[in-house]
Amino acid sequence: MKDQILQTLRDLRAYALSKKVEAAFFYHEEDSYLMRFANSAISLNTNEHLIRLEITAYEDRKRASYELITDLQKLEEMKQGVDIAAEMVKHAMPLSYQPTIPTFAESFADESGFDSALAAISNGERLAYFNEAVKGLETDDIKLSGIFSCGANIVAQVNTRSEHTQYFKTSDAQVSIVLSHPTLKWEVIAEQSAQKKADLNPSALHRDLSFLLDRYQNDAPQQIPLGKYDIVFGSAASGDLLNVMNWIGFSGGAMKRGFSFISADQVGTKVFSDKFNLTDEPACLETFPFQRDMMGMSRKSFPIFENGVFKSFTWEQDEADEFEAQPTGHSVMHMSLVLSGGDKNVSTLEELMAIPRDNDVLYIPFLHYMNLVNPSKGLITASSRFGALLLKKDGSVIVPYNVRVTQSLLDIFGDKVAWMSKSQTVNNTSQSYGSRNPTAIVVPTFIRVNDLEISHSNSSY
Amino acid sequence: MQKQLKEQIERLKKAGATYVDARWYPVEEANYLMMWNGNLKTAASSRESGVGIRALYNGAWGFSASSDVSNIGALFNKAFDNARIAAERVTFPIRLAEKESIQASFNSPNRIDPFTVSLADKISFLKEMDEKLNQPGVAQRVCELIFMRKQIVYIDSEGSEIEKNIIEVFPGIQVMGIDAQGESHGRKFSPSRMGNTRGWETVDRQLFIENAERIVKEMNEVLVAEDCPKEERSVILLPGIMFLQTHETIGHALELDRILGYELGFAGGSFVTLSDFGNLRYGSTKLTARADATLPNSPGSFGYDDDGVAAQNNLLIDKGILVGAITGRQMVEEANARARKQIFNGSGGANRATAFYRVPIERMTNINIDPGDDGSLEDIIRNTEKGIILDGEKSWSIGSNREQFHFATDIGWLVEDGKVMRVVKNSTYKGETVKFYNSLSAVGDQSTWEVHYVNNCGKGQPNQIMQLGHGVPVCRFDNVRIGE
Repeated sequence: MKDQILQTLRDLRAYALSKKVEAAFFYHEEDSYLMRFANSAISLNTNEHLIRLEITAYEDRKRASYELITDLQKLEEMKQGVDIAAEMVKHAMPLSYQPTIPTFAESFADESGFDSALAAISNGERLAYFNEAVKGLETDDIKLSGIFSCGANIVAQVNTRSEHTQYFKTSDAQVSIVLSHPTLKWEVIAEQSAQKKADLNPSALHRDLSFLLDRYQNDAPQQIPLGKYDIVFGSAASGDLLNVMNWIGFSGGAMKRGFSFISADQVGTKVFSDKFNLTDEPACLETFPFQRDMMGMSRKSFPIFENGVFKSFTWEQDEADEFEAQPTGHSVMHMSLVLSGGDKNVSTLEELMAIPRDNDVLYIPFLHYMNLVNPSKGLITASSRFGALLLKKDGSVIVPYNVRVTQSLLDIFGDKVAWMSKSQTVNNTSQSYGSRNPTAIVVPTFIRVNDLEISHSNSSY
Repeated sequence: MQKQLKEQIERLKKAGATYVDARWYPVEEANYLMMWNGNLKTAASSRESGVGIRALYNGAWGFSASSDVSNIGALFNKAFDNARIAAERVTFPIRLAEKESIQASFNSPNRIDPFTVSLADKISFLKEMDEKLNQPGVAQRVCELIFMRKQIVYIDSEGSEIEKNIIEVFPGIQVMGIDAQGESHGRKFSPSRMGNTRGWETVDRQLFIENAERIVKEMNEVLVAEDCPKEERSVILLPGIMFLQTHETIGHALELDRILGYELGFAGGSFVTLSDFGNLRYGSTKLTARADATLPNSPGSFGYDDDGVAAQNNLLIDKGILVGAITGRQMVEEANARARKQIFNGSGGANRATAFYRVPIERMTNINIDPGDDGSLEDIIRNTEKGIILDGEKSWSIGSNREQFHFATDIGWLVEDGKVMRVVKNSTYKGETVKFYNSLSAVGDQSTWEVHYVNNCGKGQPNQIMQLGHGVPVCRFDNVRIGE
C-alpha cells in the first residue's frame, strides 16, 4: 500500500511538472472505526475508509488549494484536481510575502507509531473490551455511554520542488466510558488512549469507574459555596487547559496578531510557576508525533517553558513567512506536548484522597465546554464535569454539583501551583472534526492549584 | 447508481435487515476564501462524493461509508455486519416512527449559484471589504466567503426516493484592535438572512460597506471604553447574540437524543426530562420558540431530513411552557415508550447528517423565537431602567446539562433610565437557563426579528459540523449578573 501511495504521488508530481505547475501534494488516508454506546446499548457502529488529497498550487506569491475525497484507482480524477488548483492559482491574489514551497531534502518514512494489531482490532474485541471495563457496574439505574474510536492513519507528501517524499503511518485508539444515572443526571468517566494494542487495559478503567461509582452512589451531593478553593485538576482538565495555549499562548502568529496572553518581550522571562516545564516532544510515541514537519523540517525536543520561564514561540511556516520569523518545525497537524511531572508521589485517585490535607480540596477531573473570555489575559471559562469530588480537610468526601471556573491561565499555572504529581497520564485529545488526526498530550496525573475562584455553583446535577 | 442502491437495499432486507437506507452524494463542493490584512491567506476548494449506508438489524444500527463505489455490495455488507455486532448489545430495540413514502426533490432557493461566480469577482469583493476595514485603530481585519453545494440522493427500504440540491453562502467580515492595556477587542458582521433566497445574490455589497463602517466605529469605541461593571442589570440581547443564546440553551437543550442520554459520553445531556413536556415553565409567557425548517432563506431548511421526513414548523415552547423537542424517527418512538405515553406524534423531521460518511442524528433546524409585542429596540430601551445592551458573540460556555451558561460579547452599551449612556468593554453575562428565560421581560416586535445562521455547529461522535439558523427578536432579561 505504501508503495502504491507514493507511486501515485510521484505520478501526480510528474503530471504537475509536465503542466509546468508548481504544486505540493498532501495525501491523507484513514480507516476509522467507532463503536458508540448509549443507554447501555451500542447506539452506533460505524466505519469510514476515506482518502483525501489536497493539492496546493503556487505561482510566485500566489497560492490556492483544491481538496478531493478520492481513492487510489482514480488517478485521472486527481490529475483533474491538479488542473483545477492550477487554474485557481492563476486568479488568486498575490500575498504580501513570499510563501515558502515545501522542499524535502530527503525522503522520510516513519511507521514507528503504527501497530498492526491495534489497527486490525475487531468489532468483537471492541465490544469485549467494553464489557470487561464495566463488568458488574451497570444496573437498572446506572447506564453505560461512551466510545471506542480507533483507526489507522496515513499522511504522505510530495512536491514539485524535489522528488523526495514523506510518509507517516500511525494507529490509535481513544476510549471513553461514561456511567451515568439518567434520573439524577450525574456521570462518572474513565478514559484511555492507545497507540498500540498492548496499551489497552480495560481493568484500569474498571478500577477507576468502580471507585467513582461508589462515591457517587453513596455520598450525598451538595451545592458548594462560591469562593476560593484549592483545586486538584485531573489529567483531562489539565490537558484541556494546556491545549488552549496552542491558540492563545505560545503560537508566534497568534502573538503577532494580538491574540496571545504572552508578548514578544516575555521570551526568557518567568510567566508560570517554576514547577511548569512544557516541551514539544516528537520522540514521545504516545502523542502520535510527527518527527518531520509538513515542510520537511526535522523535529527535535523543543522546550516551550522551563521552570516557568518562557523559552520560545512556535512558528509554523506560513506565519513565519508573513512575520519574517524563523520557522521552528511546527507546520504539523498537531504538536506533541508533554508537561513534565512534579515531585508529588500520587498516581491514583485513591492515593490523592489519602493525602493529609490542611484545607478542603476540590478535585476537578474534567472541564466542560471551555471557551476564551479574554484571550489577551488568558482568561478562560468552563464547568466541572464527570466525577468531581470535594475532599474535606477532615477526611470526608462530598460529591459537589458542578461548578464554573472563570480564571486566567496565568493564575492556574502561575505561582498558585502547589504541586504536580510525579506520575503522568496520556490524555487523548483527538477530535473527529474533518479528517482523522490522532492527538494526545502527556500531563501530570494530578496538578494542585491553590486559591482559585469558583464563579458559579449548581444547585443540582 | 440508484438502481444498484435499490437492489442492494432489497438484498439486505431479504438477509434480515428490518430497514435500510442509502445516501449517495454525487457531488459535494465547498469553496473557502479568506483574506487577512489584505492577504488572500486561503483560496481553497474541495469536492467529494460517496455513499453512506445505514442498516437496522434486530433493533440495532450499523453504518458504513466510502468514497469508493466500485464495490457497493461490500459496503452494504459492512453496514449489515456492523449492525449485527451492535445487535449483541441492545437495551431498547430501535423502532422507527411511521412516515409516508415520499418521492420528491428539494432545491434551496437561489438566483445565482455561487459556484458560477468567478474567483476574480469573489476576490474583488474581499479586496473591497478589506479596504473598507483598513482604518485607524484596526490592527487585524478578516474577510471571508464560504460556499457549499450538496447534491444528495436518498433511497430507503420503505419506498422513499428524494433528491436534494442545497446551496449555502456564508460571508463575513471582522476587525480587531488593541486597547491601551494591550487587550484585543473585535467586532464582526455576518448579514442576517433577508428575502427568500440564499445564493450569491445575498452578498449585498452596499450592506457590507455600511456595516464595515459601523463595526470599525464600534470597535474603536470599545478600545477606549471602561470595563463592564460587575453587577446585576437587565440585559437587552440584540439578535447578534440572542441567536447564540437560543442555540445553546434552547436548541441544544431540546435535542431529543440528548434528552434521552445519547450524547452523555461526549458533549453532555440536557436538564430537560420527558416528564417536563407539557409541564415545565421554561420561560415567561413572552417566550414562544419553534423549530421551523420551512424558512426559505436559512440553512436550517432542507426540504426533507435524512430519515426522508418532510420539513416541518413545530412549536417547542408555547408561551413559556415546554411543548416540543427537536426529533427524528428513532428518538420519538423511544421517548414515547420510555414515558409510557404519547408525547410526540411522529418525527419532527430533524435528523440530518453532515456528509455521506456520517450517520444522521437530531440536529437543530431553524430554532426561532417568535417576535413579541414590546415594540422596537428603541421602545425596549426606553422602558429599561438599568440595563445593558449586548451584541456579538465573543465566547460561550454552557454547563454539561445546558443548565447554566456564561457568555462574553464584543460590545455592551449601558442603559440608564431609558437612555443609552456609554459603551463598555469585556462585557459578559451569566445565568441559569430556566431562571434566565423566566426573567424574559420584553420581546421585540417584527422590526427587531432577524434570521442569523450558525455554520459550524458541532455534535456527535464521529463529530459532525452542521449549518442551521435562528430567527430571533431583541429580548430583554431582568436581574442578570454581568461583568464576571
